[in-house]
Parts: sequence; structure tokens; C-alpha cells
Amino acid sequence: MNGQTSAPRWHGLALAAPALTVVGVFFIAPLAMSAVVAFRDKAGGFTLEHFSKAFDLYTTDLLFTLAIVLLSTVLIGVLAIAIAGYLTLGENPRAVALLRWLYRWPLFIPFVVAGQVMRTFLAKNGMLNHVLIGTGLIEPLSAQSLLDWRGIVVAFVWKQAPFVTLLLAGAMASLESQHIEAARNLGARRVRVLLDIVLPQVRGTLLVGLVLSFVTMLSVLSVPLMINPNSPTMVTVDVAYRINTFADYAVANALCLLSLLLAAGGAWFYLRHAASKAVT
Amino acid sequence: MIATDRLKANPSYLSIEALTVAYGATRVLDRVSLGVERGEMIALLGSSGCGKTTLLRAIAGFVRPESGTIRVGGKDITHLPPEARETAMMFQSYALWPHMNVADNIAYGLRMRGWTKAAMAARVADMLKLLQLDGFGPRPVTQLSGGQRQRVALGRALAIDPHLLLLDEPMSNLDYKVRLELRHELRALQQRISITAVYVTHDREEALTLSDRIAVIDAGRIVQVGAPEEIFHRPTSAFVAGFMGADNAIDVTQRDDGTLLAAGGGPGARVRAHFRSDSARLETGSTPSSGPDLVLSGTIEQAVYIGQGYRYRVRTPGGDVWVHAPDRVPEGTPACVVVPRQAVLLFPPEPPDSATTSAMRPAA
Repeated sequence: MNGQTSAPRWHGLALAAPALTVVGVFFIAPLAMSAVVAFRDKAGGFTLEHFSKAFDLYTTDLLFTLAIVLLSTVLIGVLAIAIAGYLTLGENPRAVALLRWLYRWPLFIPFVVAGQVMRTFLAKNGMLNHVLIGTGLIEPLSAQSLLDWRGIVVAFVWKQAPFVTLLLAGAMASLESQHIEAARNLGARRVRVLLDIVLPQVRGTLLVGLVLSFVTMLSVLSVPLMINPNSPTMVTVDVAYRINTFADYAVANALCLLSLLLAAGGAWFYLRHAASKAVT
Repeated sequence: MIATDRLKANPSYLSIEALTVAYGATRVLDRVSLGVERGEMIALLGSSGCGKTTLLRAIAGFVRPESGTIRVGGKDITHLPPEARETAMMFQSYALWPHMNVADNIAYGLRMRGWTKAAMAARVADMLKLLQLDGFGPRPVTQLSGGQRQRVALGRALAIDPHLLLLDEPMSNLDYKVRLELRHELRALQQRISITAVYVTHDREEALTLSDRIAVIDAGRIVQVGAPEEIFHRPTSAFVAGFMGADNAIDVTQRDDGTLLAAGGGPGARVRAHFRSDSARLETGSTPSSGPDLVLSGTIEQAVYIGQGYRYRVRTPGGDVWVHAPDRVPEGTPACVVVPRQAVLLFPPEPPDSATTSAMRPAA
């Protein structure tokens, strides 16, 4: 009997071993090393000096990063709800088909390319200003570059909104169509159906998509580096700068840990939602 | 055309005229005309895919017709969006919103109409009382039984005091016993509040017990409309006869004096006879004299116990027929099926190359 019950347990461990090894060697160990280095002085003792330095030099950038990522997350949510909502409730089949085809394109474009696209699009002599001047909406003298925090937000939203839309539209499509029809039948217009009936039933998926986007945007280096590398900028640029210019791994690791804490905030939201779903 | 002319001369509360609905090249409803009086409950009866649910969804505004008009109280609603029609639909799956409790589900239509919180609470309480769900308001709908969910869905539909109540097979997901109980409750409630209702079903017993009139639909057309007794006893086509339970169909010979013989039993016209299994009797002794009744000789091929007796498949020269009898008779026994003349419904014989049924008056 014992042999029968212990064999599958060993089999299970053996099956999971390769995955556990990869996670341990390539993720857990470097993360632990990074944390250790952030708290170690030159003599090998414990210190908070690197964090103190990180806060002295980069508090503005930390707040800037948080503000950029939070604003982008909100805008991504609004855009994803609008697009997925139209894909679910839209009544013009051609418009729905066109939107369904178009919205996914940024998913296949890397961040670095998105950054480069935004440089040419949002610069003072970029395409956006050309169009605005050409259509007479602004005077040539009032054209200004958007290659600052606005450019980063535009790039993030452009790149991440399709990802959240993809998740959200899938969740909305799996809802029973009679739920939507029942609301319309009782007098609800489509916007009300979206807000009252559809969105509350897919808010878990929306939250997951937004948390994953939040964490992804925290880690992007190429976009802030290409659009707005000057202070205030995002923490990823600061980390690269500390390593490439000063080989200062200690402060870089302290900044990474602080970023990790921000990401952990998102993970906390995610886990709290997952736990509440499990309870209900 | 006759139906359309009648509707124009004397418009009903719900008036559907020459409604045609197509999905691509497939015509699902073909020039359907129907009138429903105020306070009447009409059943749309037909088999799966006949177009009955499409007709209901067209009334609700979820299906755009290719042509034709739908009027409620004289107002043309054909091109109004669903939210502007003041109809309330009960769905097969109930479609209760799981993120709202019972009270919020019922109050949703009132919220859309801008009712105050106090007025909504009072109306919800009325609905819960009407549907014997007192105290269920704060409960999540996910914790309700099928029958309770069905009541909440009905309460949600009735709360807005709709011009029309549309019911799309709302009992098909319930246990037989609950279905029987709710069927009578729904009928009593509909009569008490005198609401105009259209009920879609494929269950003839449900249609017979629930409705003031039945419209039988086949292949996108209404083939007969009438009171339940009329549809049951005087079907105007072989299709309706078969759908209403007269599913024994056999070619027989009709003499000039009206008496019926098994096919090939003598001179006369060939006609198609339909009868119900429980209106015929099984004779296993000597061959009875036919008299006015139809007598079909054959052999018992199969016996099935059905609780209150047995159901027999009897092979006759004209084809197999089913008949009910109280006692057990072994398979292989020669027997006669005797069908009283008044229980036989006669229709023209089907053309050999067509399975379609033509809407004709029975010969008797």
C-alpha cells in the first residue's frame, strides 16, 4: 500500500523537477543575489546605504515611474474597455470586423520598435505635428515635441492596450449573449449594458490584464530611453545608467528591489482578487 | 393574404403582418402574419428550427426582419431597438445576472426607467410577494434552485409592467414535476394580471395547458392558429395532426358512403388516415366487423410497458401503427387495431416524391 501511494508522489516531483530547476537557477537565485548585493557594503556587512543613496538621487524618478505607469494603466483600462465593449456590443459588423483586425497589430511590435515609431510620430517635426499643421488645427509655431512623459504614456498605452483588450474581449465573448439581451430588453442602452452587465462579470480578467501590463511597463527600458532619457525619467533608465556608467551594482540592485516592491503592489491586487474569487 | 386582410380590418393588440426574416440566403420566417389580442396568451408551437424563437426574437427586436411589420397597440415597432420596445422577455436560460442579487435583478428595468430607490424597493417587494419569494431579495441568484430562478426571471420581466411578455421556452430546463407546478402558476398569474403574452414551446402539452390560442409553425410559416381544443381535435393538416399526437399515419381507402377500409380493401378513394395511439383499441380475438370504424389487421411486433398499460407496434399491410392496451399480449400474436370513426383524421395522401405537408381541411 505504501509503495502504491509514495510512487506517484516521486513521479510528480520528477516531472516538476526540470521546471523547478529552471525557476530556481534562472529566477530565484539571481533575484536573491540581487537582493543580497543591495544590502551588502564593501566589507561584506549589512547596510542600508545603497537604498539611502537611491532615495537621495532617484526619489523623483521613482515617483515619476509610478505616476507614468499608473496613468498608463488607467488609460489602457479605459481604451481596452471601449474597444472590447464595441467588439462585443457593436452592431455594425463591418466596423467590428475592421476593429478586430486592426487592434491587435501593436501586439506583434517590440517595445523598442514602438519607441522608435513614437519618436518619429511625436517629435516636434514628427508626423503628428505635420498632420495637425496640415489640417490647420495648430499653427506651425505652436508645434511642440511630445517626447517627454506624454510620449512614454502614449507608447505604453499603444503597446499594452491591445494585450488587455485581447484578454477582455475574450472574456466578454464567453459571456452568455442572453445576459446582454435581457438588459437591452429591459431598456438598457449599450453603454449601460457594458457598464452594468458586461464589465462587472469580466472585471477579474480586466484586473489580471492591467496588473500584468503594470508590471510589464515597470520593466521596460527601451521606451523611456528612446523617448525621454533625461531627468526625471523612469527607474529602468537609472538602473542602466548606474551599471553602464559607474558599474554601481549595489545602487542599481537597490533600485531594482524598489521596482520589485511596486510590482508587488500589483501582485497583491491580483492575489487578493484571486483569493476572493476562490472564496466565492 | 386572408389573414393579412383580416388584421388590417381589425388590428389586434400585437399585430404581425407578412413578416419575413432571412439569415443569408436561408429564409427562416416566410411572410408570417399573426394577431394577438390584449390580455391573450398565445403559444408558438413547433419543432426545433421551425422559426418560432426567431419570431419571438423579431418581436423583441433582436432579429431584424427583411420585410413586414410588427405593431403593438397600433404603434409600428418594427425598426425600434430592443430597449425602446417595452417588451419583456424570459429566456430559456433565465439570463439572471450573477453579480446582482435577486432584488437588483428584478429592479434593473425600473432603474433604467429612472425610478426612485423607495419606489423600486416597493415594486420589488410586490413582485417577490406575487411570485411567493418573500425574503429572497438579498440572496445571490447563484444560490437559487431552477424553479426559483425562473420565478425571479418572471419577476424581472413583469416588474416593468411591459406591453408584451415574451417567453422563450422558459420551462425547458426544469424538472418535470416543477414544470407541471409552474405551468399552472404561470397561467393563473397571466390571467390574474391580464398581460398579453407570447409563449414559445415545442411541448404540445405545455401549449395546450398554458395558452388561449396556439399558432403551429412549420418551416417558417404558421400552418394553423386556433384554440387549443380546435388545434387538438380539428387539425387542418397532416403536419399539425402529427404534431398534436395523431402520429399514426396510414393510407386507407374511403368508400363513397364515407366508411373506411384498409388500403386495397375495396373500391374507393385513397386517403391518409391519422389517429392517436390511445384512441384506438387492440382486438386479439376474432376479426371484428368493421362497421363505421376503421379496422386494420396485422401482427404485434413490439410491446412496451408504459405504466398504465402497454404500447404495441402492430405491423399491418399498409405500415406499422402504435396502439395502447391495458393487458399484456405476446409479440407475434395476430391482432386487429380498431379505430373509432370519429377518432380518424383524414387528409389527402402525401405525394410519393414529397415529404411536405399541405395545409388542407380534414375530410371528416
